[in-house]
Amino acid sequence: MANEDLTSKVMTAAEAVRRFIRPGTHIAFGGFAVLRRPMTIAREIVRQGIGDLFVTMNGGTTVEEMLAGAGLIKWLETTYLGMEGGMPVAYAVRLAIEQGEIELVEDYSNWSFALRTVAARYGLPFMPCLGDLGSDLITHDTFGRAGLRGRDEKGRWRHPGIPPRKYAVIDDPFEGWGLRPRDYRSGPDTCANKSNAYRQADSLPTAYTGKPGVKVALVPPLLPEVTVVRAQRVALDGTVRIEGLLGPDVDQSLAGRILIVECERICPPEELRAVPEHNQIPGHFVSAIVEQPFGGYPTAVPNYYDYDYEWFREYGQAVRGRTLAEVHEYWHEQVATTRDDWDYLLNRVGLKRLAALRADPRHHYNPELSRFK
Amino acid sequence: MCALDAKYEAYLSQHGLTASEFTPMELLACAVARELTDGAFAFVGTGLPLLAATLAKKTTAPSLTIILEAGTFDPEIADLPISVADPRAAFNAATLGTLADAFGTIAARGYCTLGVLGAAECDMYGNLNSTAIGNPLPAGISPTGRGPDVRLTGSGGANSIAALADKIVVMMVHEKRRFPPRVSYLTTVAGRRGPAGESRFDYGLFRGGELKVITDLCTLKPDPVTGILVLDEVFPGVTPEEVRENTGWDLDISHARPFRPPSEEELRVLRLEVDPHRFYLGRTRKGRR
Repeated sequence: MANEDLTSKVMTAAEAVRRFIRPGTHIAFGGFAVLRRPMTIAREIVRQGIGDLFVTMNGGTTVEEMLAGAGLIKWLETTYLGMEGGMPVAYAVRLAIEQGEIELVEDYSNWSFALRTVAARYGLPFMPCLGDLGSDLITHDTFGRAGLRGRDEKGRWRHPGIPPRKYAVIDDPFEGWGLRPRDYRSGPDTCANKSNAYRQADSLPTAYTGKPGVKVALVPPLLPEVTVVRAQRVALDGTVRIEGLLGPDVDQSLAGRILIVECERICPPEELRAVPEHNQIPGHFVSAIVEQPFGGYPTAVPNYYDYDYEWFREYGQAVRGRTLAEVHEYWHEQVATTRDDWDYLLNRVGLKRLAALRADPRHHYNPELSRFK
Repeated sequence: MCALDAKYEAYLSQHGLTASEFTPMELLACAVARELTDGAFAFVGTGLPLLAATLAKKTTAPSLTIILEAGTFDPEIADLPISVADPRAAFNAATLGTLADAFGTIAARGYCTLGVLGAAECDMYGNLNSTAIGNPLPAGISPTGRGPDVRLTGSGGANSIAALADKIVVMMVHEKRRFPPRVSYLTTVAGRRGPAGESRFDYGLFRGGELKVITDLCTLKPDPVTGILVLDEVFPGVTPEEVRENTGWDLDISHARPFRPPSEEELRVLRLEVDPHRFYLGRTRKGRR
């Protein structure tokens, strides 16, 4: 299509947030811990003060710490709330949960949550999981107890982002035939694991289903309204290329209704289409493209810049022992009072500090970064 | 004196150490490293577990394969990472995948023989709590209108690793409140889980059950018959009675034996090659109040 407007999805963070994110939006942010987190969109949410968010996450917690720190999260679906830089549990998230500002928390494990995104990515109704069994992750059902699961009296889903059940445990109809390690006709399995209790068992477990069988926990797809991801490059036609570790991304990015991609650089489509096997997401899945160099700060974007270890350390010192109201004040001052992300990056962080994080092409990080002082 | 000896001498005097004495962190790193057998495929977190894995690779387990749960298979650790998703943890790796790959392609497929985990609570059957202390209900459904007394990180990869590994090593600070008879929230089934009828396999966990708990006082292992943790090795300067006093159930100390202290060679490799700047070794014991 020669006349197609290739710039139509390109917009500012302010416009993307105004257009797609409202109070109560069910949203998932990409990246993992100190890696490639979409801070530009998250900071714009803080600037616009959009609250009551239903945040769903697999391995945080920089984005979620800021959003909870600004008092914007109401419900949280999570697997892990650790922060780096000497803060074992993300401080504002912890306080907000303990004091009730975050009203509901639903817990999964990294794996069961990842399988939820896999089911969503492939358009499947569920995925089987061999973990979470025997733990309180299965027995504690927060959304169920809050009456948010299932259908209302008119037959509509009570909440389109909350599945009718947290898990469903079934007996494997294939009788554990595929579980590793197993035996092949030509010999025993070559994998490293040795234990598979189903192979020696006299009787099969009866938990959950009430009858003997090979237990499998089915998890529903994860279907947020909005997913946000940070990539190194996005082409004008929306083609996405992520470099380095993927973490929850790609699967999670493709799970929702609206995908916002923020990036270091927008490039011509030919630049990415010349080697299409290195691209992860076609532009057809992308609703908005936001270019913001250094927008992943203070997290790392491999091949571009490292995380700012000092930021994590200083943040810990700034909030430790503070009340939630004082933490809200901190984030208001740091982010909400900035005009946009350039204003934040240049006037709150500073170009000198950003430049010192530049990654080295051999390591994909900055081996000279000062840490552990 | 050869050059390396001179370098080590300088290191020892700079940090006020001797070749044979060790700090609590060094002892822990060596104790964990000894559980990492050659040929193992080990899911380790950053910090002390990664130090221990690097020490094992450089000494007794050269063919150990390190896996980080963010999706990294067999990296080279040139600079110590602070997170499993730190780009330092991905350097020269064989492959970088997704979270689904870490637990699917690698662990469920059969390449997770061992995992090293930590927790806030560990009970007599090796169940771990890393979710919440006290009432775990969030405020919106809690009768008190408040959330948990203390909210912790949640499972992360711990539950999944313990479901899929043949063996789990748990690192704990040894305090009575951290070793209750039953955990207040069961995040991770690291050991037997419970008595007959309540065991891990009774709930469909088909791998694992082999467990070693390493604390700052001792090591514990499950009794082969009951699955209940008993005292195994006692660290230098610690008595079995002291361990029992700091444990929340009636700990069996009848099979206690002394822990073989770190050798001078283990300490030298740990200090000079694994953590030369003492980023982690220089820290004091974590979490003790």
